[in-house]
Amino acid sequence: MNDLPEGERRPASLEELRRHGPNLCEAAIRVHADQVSDELAAERDRWSKGFTRRRLVQGAGFVGVAALGTQLVTSRVAFAAPEDTKGTLIVIFLRGGMDGLSVVAPGDDPNYRSMRPNIAIPMAALLPAGRGFGLNPAMTALYPFWQAGKMAAVHAVASPDASRSHFQAQDALERGAASVAVRTGWLDRVLAQMGPGTTFRAVAQGSALPRSLVGGEQAIVLNGIRDFRIDNDAMRSQTMEALKTLYTGLDHSLAGTAASTIQAINTAQKIANSQYRPMEGVQYPGGGLAGRLRDIAQLMKAGVGLRVAALDVGGWDMHTNLGRVDGGDMRNSLTNLSEAIGAFATDLGPLLDTTTIITMSEFGRRVQENGNVGVDHGHGNAMLLLGGGLNGGKVHGNWPGLSPGALDQGDLAGANDYRDVLAEMLKKRFNVQDSAAIFPNHQFKTLGVFKG
Amino acid sequence: MPERLFSDEGPHEPHSKKVKGAIFADYTGEFPMPRVLNEPSPAGDDDAKVGAATGTPAARTSRGPAPAWLRAGRPALHELMRNRRQALWALGGGAVAIGGLGSGAAAMLGRPEDADDMVKTGQGGGNVSPRDAGSFSNRDSSYTSGQGDLNDLGASGTADSASAAAVAAMRATPRFPTPLNRDPVLHLLRRCTFGPTHADVAAVKELGIDGWLDQQLEPGKIPDPVADAALQTTPTVTMTTAQIRASVKDGDNKAMYELTRAVIARQIWSTRQLFEVMVDFWNNHLNITSPFDGGWDTRVPYDVNVIRKHALGKFSDMLIASARDPAMMRYLDNTSSDKRNVNENYGRELLELHTVGIDGGYNEKDVRNSAYLMTGRTATREGVFRYEQNRHWTGAVKVLGFQHANKSAKDGLAVGDAYLLYLATHPSTAKYIARKLAVRFVCDTPPQSLVDRLATAYQQSGSAIVPVLKVLFRSLEFWIAAGLKTRRPLENFIATARVVGTKPGADTGKALEDLYNFTRKLGQAPLGWEPPDGYPDVANAWSSAAGMLETWNAHRAFLQQSFKGLNNPRADSLVTQPAATMATYLDVLCNRLIFQPMQPAERDALIKFLGAKPDTRVTDANLGGKLPNLAPLVLDSVYHALR
Repeated sequence: MNDLPEGERRPASLEELRRHGPNLCEAAIRVHADQVSDELAAERDRWSKGFTRRRLVQGAGFVGVAALGTQLVTSRVAFAAPEDTKGTLIVIFLRGGMDGLSVVAPGDDPNYRSMRPNIAIPMAALLPAGRGFGLNPAMTALYPFWQAGKMAAVHAVASPDASRSHFQAQDALERGAASVAVRTGWLDRVLAQMGPGTTFRAVAQGSALPRSLVGGEQAIVLNGIRDFRIDNDAMRSQTMEALKTLYTGLDHSLAGTAASTIQAINTAQKIANSQYRPMEGVQYPGGGLAGRLRDIAQLMKAGVGLRVAALDVGGWDMHTNLGRVDGGDMRNSLTNLSEAIGAFATDLGPLLDTTTIITMSEFGRRVQENGNVGVDHGHGNAMLLLGGGLNGGKVHGNWPGLSPGALDQGDLAGANDYRDVLAEMLKKRFNVQDSAAIFPNHQFKTLGVFKG
Repeated sequence: MPERLFSDEGPHEPHSKKVKGAIFADYTGEFPMPRVLNEPSPAGDDDAKVGAATGTPAARTSRGPAPAWLRAGRPALHELMRNRRQALWALGGGAVAIGGLGSGAAAMLGRPEDADDMVKTGQGGGNVSPRDAGSFSNRDSSYTSGQGDLNDLGASGTADSASAAAVAAMRATPRFPTPLNRDPVLHLLRRCTFGPTHADVAAVKELGIDGWLDQQLEPGKIPDPVADAALQTTPTVTMTTAQIRASVKDGDNKAMYELTRAVIARQIWSTRQLFEVMVDFWNNHLNITSPFDGGWDTRVPYDVNVIRKHALGKFSDMLIASARDPAMMRYLDNTSSDKRNVNENYGRELLELHTVGIDGGYNEKDVRNSAYLMTGRTATREGVFRYEQNRHWTGAVKVLGFQHANKSAKDGLAVGDAYLLYLATHPSTAKYIARKLAVRFVCDTPPQSLVDRLATAYQQSGSAIVPVLKVLFRSLEFWIAAGLKTRRPLENFIATARVVGTKPGADTGKALEDLYNFTRKLGQAPLGWEPPDGYPDVANAWSSAAGMLETWNAHRAFLQQSFKGLNNPRADSLVTQPAATMATYLDVLCNRLIFQPMQPAERDALIKFLGAKPDTRVTDANLGGKLPNLAPLVLDSVYHALR
């Protein structure tokens, strides 16, 4: 029992547990339910009185209130002091299946050229990346980071989930497991290990909550911070008070959403009053991603305690018109992505050293191009990483090659597991040590993408 | 029909305290087990007995072997409780299942065969079916997986009529009470319309539940003057491709934008509400984003000829029509697929999204064959569907249980139609669509026994939709589920317009444009979901501060005449009955907007909001014209957020 969190008690023996229900399973659930009930009560209290320790639930006297104090801080807006900031993780999910072979191209591989007679990037156009790879020239905006050792890539990354379905592959990546027994999102479990934080510790930008953040940890979905306020209201402050009361003590997930909405409105008022000025010389390009990254930069600089941000970029399902090096959907999408991330990384200034930006995508695409200057769904893919603490300027990971025998049903094989990349990052960059709790049932390997 | 079903509930239920929180107060150990601990629940069938469910603790004690962590004799409870907030979340979703036991528990309780392996280089398994790879049946099931299925809502079974089911359900006690009152008339309208109005309530009271449903299921016979008039501002939405091409500049998205505005107009003003609900359902099921590249001339006719034409018809007809539609061919790249360069996009989504679902048992070879079968189906430059036999892949094909020699390109279209009919009537398709309907109309994690009954009805009717809906409305599960759904942002928006009483006005066309722009801020523009799987239909996916804030802003926009060109009632005209004191005024206002009174604490807060007391006279000069600020707050409350 020594490993229990402080203040938490549990039945000391099987016998004691057994008294709580007709069988052990039931008893465990009941004891658990009592604790949940207690937390619900505390949730209600939090609204009106701040957090207070609640009485023990009758009939389950020895099951104490567990670590409520720390958990509840989660829901309070607090401006973290700079030394409290332990780094920020930015996950950019490229929806649709980015073609990793066009992004980090195996330039000198004859199979690459022969299977992609139209869309292969000419060797001379590639930005040298080592090991025979080259970055797509549409990534010019990011290349200085690569050269400065602040950017790296891992190639032939995959999930063991074999499906070429968008939904299934995204779902497995975002939950961090192919097994349906894992129901929360991987970022939700990361937040649980990171411990308490502020309303803004986990931010998704868009309209829907990404699957990776589904679970018990609070995350807030924003769509820009600048206009985050109640409009058309002459009695704004009274309205906020009334809204708070309307959602106090309600046993409904909407109560939690309302709480963070109200807190976000209050915080946004404080930080968004003045026009945000990016760092001297930084020009964010147009497009949704750039605007969202700009908001993230503003939140980070305001010190609101942002630890995890999840952003989506669609449009990578390039069955047709992926195009050639001089034009097409890939060039457009990749230019936009690179310029947006480049502006963001520059804008962060010294904060970039404690920040890690990663891209993920559900699968790579087939090696053989199709008849529409595009490629169909595939398997192994490239991941991009940017920020501090990287063994940068390198393409990491095992490289299976593109010889016919090395392919997986015509696709780049998955030679590196995405969970190894993420677990190493979480350990070395965010002190999230329990990898097995994030990615269950996996034997981890270290790829050496990060220093330390 | 007993009169009491039609009367509003009393001023307030005495157990209000219970509703407000203590869901565990009367805890008897009857919570549904997390799915991993559950044995498959006995599937109910069509003749399931009508009546309240009788799950007792005793009945549950013998379930399944204890999990490993218990058998080991070490009650590692702290493991289970490591992440109790996950349980809180599962509870908060209106789903009182202790499903979100947390990652530790999930890992512990997971079946060993689910364990992930290391990456297997070179054998990623193109022939593994997605089902065997381990998958939820679709995105929405994944979002709600932490809650577990609600296998017992408090009542189950199928009654002889919808009204009989309503009566039986009213006699039962819901297992998951919500803040909404249980008035069956309101419940019916919250689910079968885009939000009740007082006129709707009167209509149901006049026709009765069965009569109203019968009427709604024959939409062609219901006059629809207001919507028809409003649609004069979006003239392209009934046009053919040729007409659009003749009246719109080449490549101009005008018709697609008019369509999105027409969706708003119809959802607010159409009298054929259930029809429009089903149109929305199918437009998401066979999603074609509007606007999308290539839809300028074809997206509108897709809405007319595929979705609206078959929304209450047969799914097999709708599916076959969609597979002969130029917009679908363009949207899912089938125009780029021919025998030499097979593009798998459409062939895959046909299986995964349109019919059997991702757990339908197909593998990558099936996907390939599905794409072969669809080769030759394309769209001309003029936006006309065409079967080009020289593009059709010939040779033996096999997808699941469908086989064909497919020898002649000439017959490729007919072979494809046979394949589509096979898919539309496949048992997996029946289950997949049945569950989606249950998620739409009943709750986010519907009881499997209900899904099974709907699937049976679907198969018996040969994929006709109305018979399935009739079983749904005759189910006790439907009627016991009041308040278990959360309105998505667009639904909240439309329900606001409807209950406030917004009407077309001097410049309806311009106003519809403004309304559409607002729905984009809400994150749910009509037909605006870009991936082919349609908008999520479960609350977990919509848990968003941005969405909530903008719905609150929408309440203010509607009540403060921000949408010019419409006839918006002023906030201070909502209460027409004379009200002497603040307390009565607020009660009348609540009845007007949310069809029920608020809890005392909430009422006090709103009165305090005005700096008043319950007995303050409405005419009190100190109120200083602040009274109109109350109405948006009433709509901000949970009573308007749920359905």
